Amino acid sequence: MTARESLFDSGKLKVEEAPPALARDLKDGLRLGVIGILVMLGAAFFLSGIVGPLFALGNVEETVMDVLTRLALLALPFVAYIAAASVARRYTVRDSPRALGLALTTTVILFAAISAGHYVFNYGVFAPRPSLQMTLRQTDAGIRVEALVAGGAADTAEMQVGDVITAIRRDRVDLAAFNKRLSQSEADAPLRLRFMRGDEELQETVRVILVSDKQLSVLLPGLLFGLAFTAIIVFLPGHWAPYIALVGLLSPLLVGYFWVIVATFSYRTEGLVPLDSNDNFGGFTLKNWESIFAGNISGLEFNIWPILMTSLAIAVVMTFVVLLVSSMAGYALSRMHFPGRRFFLSFTLILHGFPAITLLIPIFIVLLRLGNMPIIGEVIGFNTIGGIALVMVAFQLPLGVWLMKGFFDNIPWDMERSALIDGASRFRTYWEILLPQIRPGLLALGIFAFIGGWNAYIIPATYSIGTGLSNLPVFLNELIDETAPVDWNQVAAVGLFQLIPIFIFFIFAQEYLLNIYAGGTKGSS
Amino acid sequence: MEIRIDNLTKKFGDVVGVENLTLHIDDGEFVAFLGPSGCGKTTTLLTLAGIYKPTDGLIRFGDRVVNTVQPKDRNIGMVFQSYALYPHMTIFQNIAYPLKLKKVPKNEQNEQVRRVANVMGIGDLLDRRPGQLSGGQQQRVALGRALVKEPDVLLFDEPLSNLDARLRLTMRGEIKHLQKNLGITSIYVTHDQVEAMTMADRIAVMNLGHLQAFDAPDELYDRPKTRFVAGFVGNPPMNFLDVEVSRLNGQFLAEADAIRLPLGAERGEPPAGHPGAVVMGIRPEDIQIADDGDVRGEIFVVEPLGREDLIDVRIGSNSFILLADTEKQYRAGQPVALKFDMSQAQFFDPQTERSLLWRQ
Ligand SMILES: Nc1ncnc2c1ncn2[C@@H]1O[C@H](COP(=O)(O)OP(=O)(O)OP(=O)(O)O)[C@@H](O)[C@H]1O
Ligand SMILES: [Mg+2]
Repeated sequence: MTARESLFDSGKLKVEEAPPALARDLKDGLRLGVIGILVMLGAAFFLSGIVGPLFALGNVEETVMDVLTRLALLALPFVAYIAAASVARRYTVRDSPRALGLALTTTVILFAAISAGHYVFNYGVFAPRPSLQMTLRQTDAGIRVEALVAGGAADTAEMQVGDVITAIRRDRVDLAAFNKRLSQSEADAPLRLRFMRGDEELQETVRVILVSDKQLSVLLPGLLFGLAFTAIIVFLPGHWAPYIALVGLLSPLLVGYFWVIVATFSYRTEGLVPLDSNDNFGGFTLKNWESIFAGNISGLEFNIWPILMTSLAIAVVMTFVVLLVSSMAGYALSRMHFPGRRFFLSFTLILHGFPAITLLIPIFIVLLRLGNMPIIGEVIGFNTIGGIALVMVAFQLPLGVWLMKGFFDNIPWDMERSALIDGASRFRTYWEILLPQIRPGLLALGIFAFIGGWNAYIIPATYSIGTGLSNLPVFLNELIDETAPVDWNQVAAVGLFQLIPIFIFFIFAQEYLLNIYAGGTKGSS
Repeated sequence: MEIRIDNLTKKFGDVVGVENLTLHIDDGEFVAFLGPSGCGKTTTLLTLAGIYKPTDGLIRFGDRVVNTVQPKDRNIGMVFQSYALYPHMTIFQNIAYPLKLKKVPKNEQNEQVRRVANVMGIGDLLDRRPGQLSGGQQQRVALGRALVKEPDVLLFDEPLSNLDARLRLTMRGEIKHLQKNLGITSIYVTHDQVEAMTMADRIAVMNLGHLQAFDAPDELYDRPKTRFVAGFVGNPPMNFLDVEVSRLNGQFLAEADAIRLPLGAERGEPPAGHPGAVVMGIRPEDIQIADDGDVRGEIFVVEPLGREDLIDVRIGSNSFILLADTEKQYRAGQPVALKFDMSQAQFFDPQTERSLLWRQ
């Protein structure tokens, strides 16, 4: 029986013992949590809404109130913890898996509630969004003003129904571009609109204002989903708890990935919904991807292939060198006695804990010096792929060496002795007999190294300044820095483009990886 | 290949693996290393194999001093207790590995591996991997791998201890048979004395890193030169008790508490000459329960062994282990009389633990 099976078997048993108690415990926990949250929210409202204004005469008091309010809000997650712990506590001694499950589930639900609240009020549909308080429609001539909110921003700026907007400042716009520009504006930002009123071309400066104009009905599906989710958790048998917890914990990630994928294929997104230029569902396009290969994003000219090659070179060099050096060093540390072995082991561990950022400047100087050396400097100096890979390898090695040492420690001595007696040299023994035994370890470390190298940002960014040399993450950052306004859908496309090799890699290595995690090498006795 | 070990010492820091070992092994001889756990058997073997470098002393294979010779240049085959097969290789590749390292041509490799595999009875397993074999089959593969390169010396480190009793019996015979046929000098480490007694031409008994005795099995059994050897060889082990041996008008007498045992001159003379008490040893099979026994005692424990019962008899403060027919149905608490075959008694100096009968 695998560990997984036995885990769930025991889960089932416990449910049969006392099924109603679990639901009751969960409900208790949730009730406590909800009451706690309400109390905290009440306190926050009391502080900022009632106490605050009373003392609003002096600035100091206001700040104190602000801090207290924010503290009350900050404490919300802790309320969730406390509620979860209070139910879990009943079982900690007798039945720790159940206690853990309860705590996890309760926390997840309460967290989901708190996060949803945060989201809704800060970013979601209730969030204020920039608006000019007029209704627009795309026509052949331009964007026609269909209606105005009386006393609203546009009205104040003396816009009229029937005006046809053609440009913002000197940039010609259609409705999509207009909306995009608007959504990126801050409160009170002046937008100078050019428009046609009759045959007359006019200009008005309209100040952006933040409005929240969404209806509650939009929220309903989300609310229903939340309720269903809670109901499922509260009423499902106990052994489902781990799955629910898993989904709950993973959902932000999944939502993130979902957005990235949707965004790269759409013109514009509002939340997770792709929109076309008229704010309707749709607007799918391949232009985000095309522009990567065309080498022009928002006016920034580039060639993606050298960038890709740089990324690849760093990752491959790093994987190769890390594997080679770590496995050899690990072998020596595992099998040989030599002076300084213990010191070396503890020292590498310290090195591993050393934050890389603090070493950026010293290493910078070292690389500069290396760069001045003839020949070597061309390969591993400042502003070379070799130099970047060298530094990254150095940072990865302590972990690698320890990992490899651990794997070698687990190979019985006899196997190696047997090979030596069979007539192999030491190197052959290492290469032909021992390395195959630690293939899972090599693969794991290789993946670490490859992904580390592929996603490397801080080191390539630091040690390649002033050159055209950049890998994908560095390029991504340039993209955000050097284009205005930033087209996030295109940034997402570059990001996803960067992920493709890793996806491919995982698809191929999946079975092998699962084997490693499922416990050791397959087929060995 | 003749092996001569002179004053071999191997230390791990302060830990003594083996100390001052001198052993000359003849060409084609089958020698067993016998001793309790941790006595340095494996250490000696691995030093011979070249895995450990001797701290001191000389090892010669024939006329060649091999102290610093690499394992791969010694032409030895070794079988480990754990078999140490290479899990990522097929059985064929496992057995062929020593040949591959010797750069034997492919077709010759193929031929030799198949021949050895057939001899070992694993000819149809060549495409499998070690993980898919039973313990006994793995054992044969390990043996095949050691044999395939036609080594000058074969080393076995407790090769049978992971097998069940029945298989062990078969393999014992097979190994012995193979070794005699091939005439390869072999060293066989074990702490199972039956294995050592039945297989070896000579047995080296070791304890705490020191050689206790090096002799043919019968010699060790009948004429043990130290108390350790006497106690270690033989199953169930020899009974020991402290006695005073005295000469009484031409007769010899061994006495302890209520026990008085007459002795012949051959066995009685040397201990009688020793001042004070001596240690007497007597094997369980040399004690009988008989109505006309010399000494009376009481049965303390009866352990059935199947064909025989192992019986612990207490006489005063002394306890004797002996073997008796199951059919007699002895029970604990039953009073019995014992008869000792004193012509087989051994005597040892209590201080030096050396035999008083057989000088080294
Ligand atoms: N690599 C080593 N480092 C330190 N001490 C060792 C090492 N190998 C063996 N020893 C020590 O040397 C002594 C002899 O060990 P050895 O392995 O030779 O015993 P053994 O007779 O083979 O025992 P067993 O029958 O249990 O295999 C033991 O005390 C052991 O702890
Ligand atoms: Mg051993």
